[in-house]
Amino acid sequence: MIKKIGRFIIGLKFAIILFILIAIYSIIGTVIPQGATKEFYLHNYESFGNIILLLQFNKVYSSFIYRTLLLLFIVNITGCTIKLLPSQIARLKDDYFPAPGKSAENLWDEKYDTEEFKNILEKKGFKIYKSENGYKAAKNRIGVLGSSITHLGIIIIILGSFIGNLFAYEGYINLLPGESTAFVEQGFILKLDDFYLGFREDGSTEQYYSELKIIEEGKEVEAKKIWVNNPLKYKGINFYQSSFGWVSELTIKDSEGNIIEKASLKNNEYHFYQPKHLTVYLYGYYPDFAIDHEGQPVTITQQKKHPHYAVILYEFNNYVDSFITSPGQPIYYEDLEITFEDSSLYTGLTYRRDFGYYFVLIGCLFMFVGLLLSFYLYPRFVIVGDKTILPVTKQNIWGYTMQLKNLLSSTSKQ
Amino acid sequence: MSLVYFEELFFTLAFIIYIIASIGFFVFLVSSKEKVGKFSVTASTIGFVIHTIAMILRIIESGRLPFSNQFEFANSFTWAIVLCYLVIHYIYKFTAVGGFVMPLAFLMMGYASMLPKTIKPLMPALQSRWLTIHVGTAIISYGSFAVATGLSLMYLINERHKVKDKKISHLPDAEVCDYLSYRVTAFGYLMLTLVIVTGAIWAKKAWSRYWGWDPKETWSLITWIIYSTYLHLRFNRGWKGKTAAWFSIIGFLCVIFTFIGVNVLLPGLHSYR
Ligand code: HEM
Repeated sequence: MIKKIGRFIIGLKFAIILFILIAIYSIIGTVIPQGATKEFYLHNYESFGNIILLLQFNKVYSSFIYRTLLLLFIVNITGCTIKLLPSQIARLKDDYFPAPGKSAENLWDEKYDTEEFKNILEKKGFKIYKSENGYKAAKNRIGVLGSSITHLGIIIIILGSFIGNLFAYEGYINLLPGESTAFVEQGFILKLDDFYLGFREDGSTEQYYSELKIIEEGKEVEAKKIWVNNPLKYKGINFYQSSFGWVSELTIKDSEGNIIEKASLKNNEYHFYQPKHLTVYLYGYYPDFAIDHEGQPVTITQQKKHPHYAVILYEFNNYVDSFITSPGQPIYYEDLEITFEDSSLYTGLTYRRDFGYYFVLIGCLFMFVGLLLSFYLYPRFVIVGDKTILPVTKQNIWGYTMQLKNLLSSTSKQ
Repeated sequence: MSLVYFEELFFTLAFIIYIIASIGFFVFLVSSKEKVGKFSVTASTIGFVIHTIAMILRIIESGRLPFSNQFEFANSFTWAIVLCYLVIHYIYKFTAVGGFVMPLAFLMMGYASMLPKTIKPLMPALQSRWLTIHVGTAIISYGSFAVATGLSLMYLINERHKVKDKKISHLPDAEVCDYLSYRVTAFGYLMLTLVIVTGAIWAKKAWSRYWGWDPKETWSLITWIIYSTYLHLRFNRGWKGKTAAWFSIIGFLCVIFTFIGVNVLLPGLHSYR
């Protein structure tokens, strides 16, 4: 009984079942939005909401169920590989020769010269063995390991990425030119010297550039201009150009023109002015302002051609009014004068350290080499005897038979 | 007259020729007139040459490979489908294969023709030499899968007629379709593996992580799993014939969903429309 279960766990049937389950589960993860709040599912999916939460369809790829499936898959594929490996290794040796299959086509014809055929086979890299009434030939014995090498690659990928994720270290920072952030544990400081966009002639954005500096113990140790697809790497941490935005300066003055409040706001940020219970909401800064066909403010390019702000005021959380203003143009509210100006760009950097990547690369290499062996360098055998020429191979008997026919026809005596 | 004019002209010409070839193949299949078959193959070849010229014009005009929006992808896929078909045709000389592959090509081109064709410069995320390798392997992989599906369809039709005991003389043996479909699938699978691997390497450079369950990533994994299942059952359980043919068709539907469905229904980082 236990033996039977064991055999099932490392068998092909179980592998296929796991394949299908993993596929179905993955599909669900692409259909149901991932990582939202509980209320979201309960509200949007009604009675299905509970099922979604119970079966963890809200976070498929990090769920217990998914990990269990992957773990079972690892057990299955490892077991299967270990089971097959000894017999595969035995097939690498010269004394192994498979028996021809029942359906193997006899290619023999008296017009063929089998001695000549032997020479051609030898030239093609076959190894020739004498037999009682003829000879046998074998090529690409190594190909038998293809499936095991592929499996090993997959095991390395899954385990490597899993362990890598456990130790991965990542985050996101916004920096204005001149600002810096400390990576205390690693003992260095990352400083943004400058951030700017590159434009094409038509005004569209061509690229985002952050000029970064690494400072260690007060000394600059590395400087690099990064952009999308070109990260900076330092001490195993990669820094990526991943987004950008605008910060704008808010000034609130009283009726005599004295500055009573100053703040820097990004788009979609609030500033609360306590004495008047006034909330100033910067809906957006539009460097190249326009109104789209739905009546919404948009920016055509990221160049400061026609800058405007969209601002909304609230008092005690009640909507007061909304405004479109240009830089420095005041909004009057009671006896206050509110202005936005001096917008500047900030950069958004993602950083990540993940050694799992190197395992994944090695695993991919194994997988690819394994597949090449399996599909194109599979073992080929020929058994030539008295009035028989039998092709023997497991992978691609049809194509291989064709190849041999071609070789044979070049030895034709007529 | 400008390059754009000729480019569009050649695209339209290629499209029309592909339709004519498809119709020709259909006539060939029902009438089995050798001449019609030959004509259709020639038409496909000429269409392909014209299509290639159109692509080259677009490359000259934009100064980069045609890999930057859904129109260009669909167009490149069409091109690769016809390329793979012609390669298989000129090796094995099975005229009938075209009857099942060329319609796929013209459908894909029809889809392309409905999309906006404007040439836009590459967005920052796509400015990388990985674009060429990643999308290049993708179109070859999908082209092979399309041909494999055509072969599987042919197998199924062949089988049906065999049962009725009137084998269609101009279709290659069912057995041969079955094997060839398998070999072509294996090649497409190897390429798909490369697409995913190069995608992961690129994603590491562009998006900081090599795998992030973006819908396109997930669906390419699902496609890969389906073809893995096919290859395992075929190799270890001797699955052949009908079941294998249906499996190959399901695999291709999955490919199409990954390509079109994901962009339309499940947009993520990967949808460049
Ligand atoms: C693990 C990572 C990735 C995987 C598994 C992956 C997978 C795929 C697959 C299967 C295709 C085939 C075409 C299709 O079905 O639409 C494809 C196409 C494409 N990929 Fe990726 N990819 C990855 C990362 C990336 C990255 C990082 C970029 C660019 C920043 C990228 C850009 C493209 C483009 C432009 C296409 C062609 C057009 C299309 O969307 O269909 N891919 N990718």
